[in-house]
Amino acid sequence: MVEVQRRALVQGAVLAALSFTIGGKELWLSPREAKALGAPASVLKPDEVETLEAVGETLLPGAREAGIANFVDNQLAVPPGDCLLMARIANVRPPFANFYRAALGAIERSCEGLHNKRFAQLAAAEQHDFADRLRQNKIEGWQGPPPPFIYFLLRHDAVDVTFGTVEGIEGLGIPYMPHIAPEKRW
Amino acid sequence: MAASEKVDVAIVGAGASASVFASVLARAGKKVVMLEQGPDWRESDLISSEIWGRRLKVVNPAILEGKDRLGYAYNAGWGSGGAATHYFAMFPRLLPSDFNMKSAYGRGLDWPFSYDDLAPFYDRVAQDIGISGDAKAEERWRPPGQPYPMPPIKTFRHGDVWLKGFEALGIKTARATTAINSQEYKGRPACIYDGWCNAGCPIGALANPTTTYLAEARKHGAEVKPFSTVTRVLTNEKGDRVTGIEYYDRAKQRQVQEASVVILSAFVSQNPRILLNSATDRHPNGLANANGLVGRYVMAHTGATIWGMFDEPDLQNYMGVLAPMHWSYDRYDKTARPGVFGSILWHCSPAIKPNDIGGIANSRNDLFGQALVDFIKRGSRQLSRLQAFGEELPNPDNRVELASEKDEFGFPLARINHAYDQDAVGVWSQGCDEGLKIAKAAGARESWALRASPPTIHMVGGTAMGKSAADSVANGYGQTHEIPNLWIGGVTLFPTEGAVNPSYTMYAVSLRAAEHLAANWNTIAG
Repeated sequence: MVEVQRRALVQGAVLAALSFTIGGKELWLSPREAKALGAPASVLKPDEVETLEAVGETLLPGAREAGIANFVDNQLAVPPGDCLLMARIANVRPPFANFYRAALGAIERSCEGLHNKRFAQLAAAEQHDFADRLRQNKIEGWQGPPPPFIYFLLRHDAVDVTFGTVEGIEGLGIPYMPHIAPEKRW
Repeated sequence: MAASEKVDVAIVGAGASASVFASVLARAGKKVVMLEQGPDWRESDLISSEIWGRRLKVVNPAILEGKDRLGYAYNAGWGSGGAATHYFAMFPRLLPSDFNMKSAYGRGLDWPFSYDDLAPFYDRVAQDIGISGDAKAEERWRPPGQPYPMPPIKTFRHGDVWLKGFEALGIKTARATTAINSQEYKGRPACIYDGWCNAGCPIGALANPTTTYLAEARKHGAEVKPFSTVTRVLTNEKGDRVTGIEYYDRAKQRQVQEASVVILSAFVSQNPRILLNSATDRHPNGLANANGLVGRYVMAHTGATIWGMFDEPDLQNYMGVLAPMHWSYDRYDKTARPGVFGSILWHCSPAIKPNDIGGIANSRNDLFGQALVDFIKRGSRQLSRLQAFGEELPNPDNRVELASEKDEFGFPLARINHAYDQDAVGVWSQGCDEGLKIAKAAGARESWALRASPPTIHMVGGTAMGKSAADSVANGYGQTHEIPNLWIGGVTLFPTEGAVNPSYTMYAVSLRAAEHLAANWNTIAG
């Protein structure tokens, strides 16, 4: 009889945490830990991080603290073949940073035009309304990647970091049951 | 440039079809080299995570165009095992009516052989890799064959919950056939139903090629060269024989692998692309393309996708496998739906996780904010999915061509144009209608169909096989009509697709071809 010890296989796991650099030191962290420790972005600019976190939080409450910006930024810094973003399997052509810059920039330009404010500065109801218009492709004067596709990808990123992790799934009250677990429980 | 030692067989790719060829030919004593664009995955790399599982998928290598652009990267593979490292191991067969559509209905194309010719190889593959199923129940819809070596996989409530609906509509079902061990098989353990199949199965319960044919090939000396990007097939001066393969290695250095026989077993964009990029004075349209058919007849499956939220407190929808527990060919008749032509295959239901394309969140793409959080919480125990794959007929305008954009080595990328015709859309739409009736009859509290546009599931075609050099690229074994030692393996050979996952048929077609090549080696290799 071949015995399969589910948890025993975890011992053979390859390293699955992400590498973040904080204060000159390389640390293996989950995106949530990286966010909590204030890991700086390496690809996205501060205003892009701010927009991504605000949009992510609007699409899925909890995404900001789960580290959506840390996750996306980290994955934009790796070679396309190593990238774990939904963009990879949604046929975005690399470099994926080009898509994120274009998407986040278009959101900001649109918000400035419509509200004379950055997305992060909008009231919660205005952010919700903007996201709904993004989803339905109903933003006048839009210039950038197709809004529903931006909604689709950023929403997926938010779900990934919030509910696609070990702690996210177990937080729903259902077992994760890995053969080989991601390290650092994400 | 460097030239490697000449081998008997150079295979482009290390996916499922390539692994079958490599296994058969290496066991026959041939020196086999497989050139794989991605990594050489090992079981310890297969992390149980929707997020980490994306590493097994290709970074889109093609320009995608058309009304219904292919979901290329999601369906294709990257690295040894190819797409079959992340497949769901759902293993339906084509039916006899799929092989002679043009003769019988005046639609599509005929295969160069019949179901009866392929049936022994379906049975052989079942024994080779381990298939779980109930052949007797399946024989309600297909000719009899050998029993499967294992009984069907275990069922869970999230699959059983649909049966009442099928019964109410008079649709007969059977336990699904899967390449997943329901019990220990050939030293590989039984499945433990964790639902991480698409991240690769590191325990070997699911028949990924890396644990079946590719493992067998390695045991007999076949070599995988990872991170090798093949750009062209090389020919002799007369253009009547191939001499090897040009590729770029991990260090991005140009290399040549000389070989007596070359087998292209890449995926839908790359097999045609390599043939087209290999044009010479003798083959100005590309290799095997005198008739202009290389790249044509690309197909995908539509998917009528129905979601149901049930009142039962815990369907255990997080357990199981990604393949279905139950399926039905009862609506497979190509003329069963008014006004449209094509088959469908009903199946239910996969284990579901919160994220990714097939996840809970994506079942309601319209929800966001707190409504999405609440929905994911409800769905994590009460949501289930019903789906019907729908057939698309071969259309010469759905094709792979060379784009003006080039890759890092200076070779044109593939451009794939794809649009469903009215039959495919009609079959899909009627499937959605029927699925909602099934859901209602099954007692779903809420049910909905994803109707925005038909998805593109699986991909086949692009180098169709046939009986004649006038209307196909290769013969029924995948040997190109123009160059006897240039072969093609895998799903790009399919002239039609039926409404079934292509993997089982691809294995059977490849096994039949590989054994023919081995048996006729001296004639073919020269």
